Order: sequence, then C-alpha cells, then structure tokens
Amino acid sequence: MISSFPPGLIMIVGALLIPFLPNIIRQIYMMVLILVSAYALTLGFGIHAKIEVMDIQFIIFQSDSLTLPFAIIFHIAAILNVIYGAHEKHWNQHVAIMSYSGAAIAAVHAGDLFTLFVWWEATAFTSVFLILASKTKRSYRSAFRYILIQVGSGMFLLAGAILLMSQTGNAEFRSFDFNSLYGQLIFIAFGIKAAFPLLNGWLQDAYPEASEIGTVALSTFTTKLAIFCFARSFAGTEILIIIGAIMTFYPIFFAVIENDLRRVLTYSLNNQLGFMIVAIGIGTELAINGAVAHAFAHILYKGLLFMGMGAVLYRVGTCKASELGGLFKFMPITAVCTIIGAISISAFPLFSGFVAKSLIMSALGKEGLVFVYFMLLFASAGVLHHSGIKIPFFAFFAHESGIKTKEAPLNMIIAMIIASALCILIGVFPSYFYEILPYQIQYQPYDFSHVVGQLQLLTFAAFAFICLWHFKIYPPELNSTVLNSDWIYRKMIPGILLPLLNLINDINKKIEQFFEFMFISIKKFFANTMTKNKIFDREVGQDTLIIVQLFIILLIFIFVWKIYL
Amino acid sequence: MKYLIEKFGKINTAVLFLCIIFLILELIGHRHGETSIEDILFFPALFGYLSCIIIFKIGVSLRSFLMKDEDYYDK
Repeated sequence: MISSFPPGLIMIVGALLIPFLPNIIRQIYMMVLILVSAYALTLGFGIHAKIEVMDIQFIIFQSDSLTLPFAIIFHIAAILNVIYGAHEKHWNQHVAIMSYSGAAIAAVHAGDLFTLFVWWEATAFTSVFLILASKTKRSYRSAFRYILIQVGSGMFLLAGAILLMSQTGNAEFRSFDFNSLYGQLIFIAFGIKAAFPLLNGWLQDAYPEASEIGTVALSTFTTKLAIFCFARSFAGTEILIIIGAIMTFYPIFFAVIENDLRRVLTYSLNNQLGFMIVAIGIGTELAINGAVAHAFAHILYKGLLFMGMGAVLYRVGTCKASELGGLFKFMPITAVCTIIGAISISAFPLFSGFVAKSLIMSALGKEGLVFVYFMLLFASAGVLHHSGIKIPFFAFFAHESGIKTKEAPLNMIIAMIIASALCILIGVFPSYFYEILPYQIQYQPYDFSHVVGQLQLLTFAAFAFICLWHFKIYPPELNSTVLNSDWIYRKMIPGILLPLLNLINDINKKIEQFFEFMFISIKKFFANTMTKNKIFDREVGQDTLIIVQLFIILLIFIFVWKIYL
Repeated sequence: MKYLIEKFGKINTAVLFLCIIFLILELIGHRHGETSIEDILFFPALFGYLSCIIIFKIGVSLRSFLMKDEDYYDK
C-alpha cells in the first residue's frame, strides 16, 4: 500500500489534521509524517506508482539517482523547519510548511510534466501563506505579486507540457531539447522559479517579507526544486553556463549595498543558484554532482543563515544592518551558529561549501572554461564579503546598537545546532556525502593546491574588508530600498501604462461628452419642433400630417411608375 | 605584536597573521591551480584582495542610482 504512495503526499494529506492538535503533540505528529514520507525513499530506484486518467498515464512516484539526494535533503530540511518553528503557537504556518515541503518532495518524484505541474503550483499556493503570515501591508502586497509570478511560471510549464504531449504523444519528465518551442516554454517556467536574471525580482521582494519561520522554509524548496528540474531536463544546455555566470556575478553588488540582512541573504541565494546553474550547463558527471552537492549543502548553510537572522528578527523585531550590532553578548549561540553558516557559504575548508563548490570549480577547470571560472572565483570572494562577513558582522558585532535582548528560544537553538553540525560533518567527511550524489566519481577536494589556494583567496578577501572597515572607508549602512528587477513591474510598467490609461480615459470622456452634446442637441431640436407654431405643434399637426401623407403617396406613385411603366 | 593588537585589534591581527601563514605555505609546498594563470605566485591572495576591493568600489558607486528612500514603493 505504502509503496504506491508518493513521498510528500502523506505530508500534504496529514497537514489537514494539524489545526486540531495541541502544541507539542502537533510537532511530534509532523515529525512522524516526515519520517513516514521518508520511508518511501528506501524502496529503491524505479517507477513505484502510476495512475491512469482518460487513457493518459501519470507517473506520480519515480525515483532514481537524481531524485534521491534532493529527497533526502528536503526531508532533513522539513525536520529542521518543524524544530525551528516549534515556538509558534498558531497552526496556520505549520500547515503551510508541512504541505509546502510535501508538495516540493512530491514534485521531485514526478515522472511526467502534468504531475510536476500539479505539485509545482501546489508549492506556490502553500508557500504564499508563509509570506502572508507576517500580517503587514507590505507582506500582503508582496504575497500577491509572489503568487502571480509563481502561477505564471506554472502556466509556462503547462503550455510546454501540452505542446510536448501534442507533438510526441507523451509528457514524460525527461531531458528536453532547448531548441524546441515546448523546451523553451518549460525552460522559462523553470527559469522563473530559479530566479534567472531579470526574472529574480520576486525572490528579493517576497522572501524577506515572510515570517521568521517562513523564510527558512522558503529558502529551501522553491528554488532548489527548479535546480532539480534543470538538472533533470536541461543538463548540458550551454546557455545555462552564461545565465548561471551572470547570476553568480551581479547579485553580489546588490547584496553589498542592501541594508536588510534577510534581503542580503536572498541576493546571496541568487548568487549561489548561479553556481548550480553553471554546473548544470556544463553537464558532465562531475559538474552535475557539483550542482547537486551544492544544492544539498546550500540548503543547510543558507537555511542556517536564515535561521540566525530569523532568531534576531524574532527577538529584536528588525533585521536592518543600520539598526543592529553588538548582539553577540546577548545571543552568543545564535551568533556562533550564524558564523558557522557564514564560514560554510564562504567555502572554507572543513565546511560543507568547500567540498561542494570544489566540484563545480574543478568541472569548469577541466572543461577549460577559463573566463567563467574566473567569474565564479570573483563571485566566491563576493560571497565571503556579503554573506561570510556582512551578515554576522553587522548583526552581532560592528557597533553598539544599544539593543538589549536575550538568546533565541531553545527550539531555534536546537535547529541551528543540528544544521551547524551537518555543515561541519559534510565538510569533514566528504566521501560519505559524495556517495549519495547521482554519479559515482573519484574526487578528492582536500589536496594542497585546493586548500591553500582557497585559504589565500578567502583570508585576503577578508583582510581587504578589514582594511576598508578599519580605515573607515566602508560607508555606513543606511535605511533604504535597493532597486531590483521587480522595479520593472512595480514602477516602470505602471509608470508607462498609467499615463497611457489616463490618456485613453481622457479620450473616452471627450467622446462621451461629444455624444452627450449631440444627444442633447437632437433632443432640443425635436423639442423645439413641438412647441407652438412649429412643424409638430399639436394645433397644426393635422395639416402637417396630411401634407406628409400626400408626399408619401407621391413617392410611392413615382416608385411604382418608374418600375412598372 | 602588542602594537599591532592595540592598533588593529585581536581579530584583525589574527587574520593578518593567517594571511602571512598561507603565503608562507605556498612557498613551502607546490600549489597549482585549475588554470595556468593561477600558478602565478600568490595569485589567489592577490585575486581575493582585489576582488573584494572591486566589489566594494562598484557597490558604493551603485548606491547613487540604485539606493532609494525606504518608502520608495509605498509612495
């Protein structure tokens, strides 16, 4: 029975019971749901469940070497989310997180594009509640934009699936040709969710507006699901190398000037996705392993960084660098865990980021993509700058903000410690980590050249930051809004469309006025004809009628005469 | 040493010493990169330092036209 039940589905169905359970039992129940869902991963590779509707076969549960690492990390992340959110009394976010995680896990196991579409949209509709949970005006607006874009992405996917079905007779979720129209539609759908350049606005717009628990969950599933889909369908598509390189590069500058530390992390998330996209574009076994390893490690350390900032937000009520500082003495455990996340994302040896990123850099080197290699190396220095230093430094050190607070709740600390431990374990024992990757390869990240090169790069980049800060060249963080690609649909398009709509409205009014004038004039004219001594005056009406009737008779006579005579 | 700690602080001095240690390490062993350009002596150190400065410079210059008031979208 359970073999035909796709992983994740049990979490979605089980989430319906969450509102009726008391606090602690609810958390245990959610853990059980995740473990039952994870049990399906032990079934091995192959197609485990199909359903047939109107002669169309839908593969709702398939697993292979690519689904396994994503399924494992999604389940781990779901457990961490349950622990991290345990202090939240109300059920609404728990239901959203459980069904959102379940939808993402189910999507990974989809064997056809229609099944994928259902879970694709389900991730959107369940996750939007995490943004709404902030209950601010900004979050409501942001959530509205978020759902529009996510659903829009689903529409591209559906259009691609239908086109594929009509052309090939099946909609199997497999490798697609980028040069076909259906391939391009599917590519755009995945690209929106992967926050491609100019399609990324929703990410920086929505994630920082979510609740402190919500952002941790959001950072895990949506974008990594897109990475999984690219790895499944567009591995080796060269355009991805260019797109990915741009993605690693430009968010760095935005992250450097952004004041909201959770928004800094979303730029950093964008930058990290770039590394994965480049690796998928290369498409070799080493590169695909690199992309998957990076996604796996990234979920942990980015989740950890969001947890740290979420704890700060929960305790202090803000995540703005300009208002924070000096929190280390009040929140030392949160600070240490955040620093571990920062060291991991910066790819210091013995931490998870290093063993994952090395695979991608080696794949680039092996393929001789020198220019892209140096773009990614530059981006690595940028990651250290904005995520490795800026995040922990401005939150916990920098200057005395005068804020007095206390350490994060116990559940948050437990989740952060587990995530920190996993970041270190992966970094220290990479061979176990590499075993779950899609391809069996021999790779040793810890050789003299790798380690010394990386340490030099990172310590000197850190030293540059220290110099800038020490000699007061680094400008102060300011309360501000940094313009991003969402400016296009939040300001530019309304800026062009509104005057155009106003113009159309003005023309419409003028036309209305003209017809109103005409109508009144005609009305007046006929009204005038009925007044005394005018043609339709009642007193002269009989004579006039006789004249009109005689005229009509004359016309008929002429007509008949002309035709018949 | 005392002077450095007083002038730069403990952590900054520690980072400075780490930088020196990693440079010395390169002189002791043989480091080679994924690309031939990286084989230049102390290349990663120079690349890391300059990258950070360039990122900072570009970031600061972008402030003038990308940074708007906090309520920019609420107006």
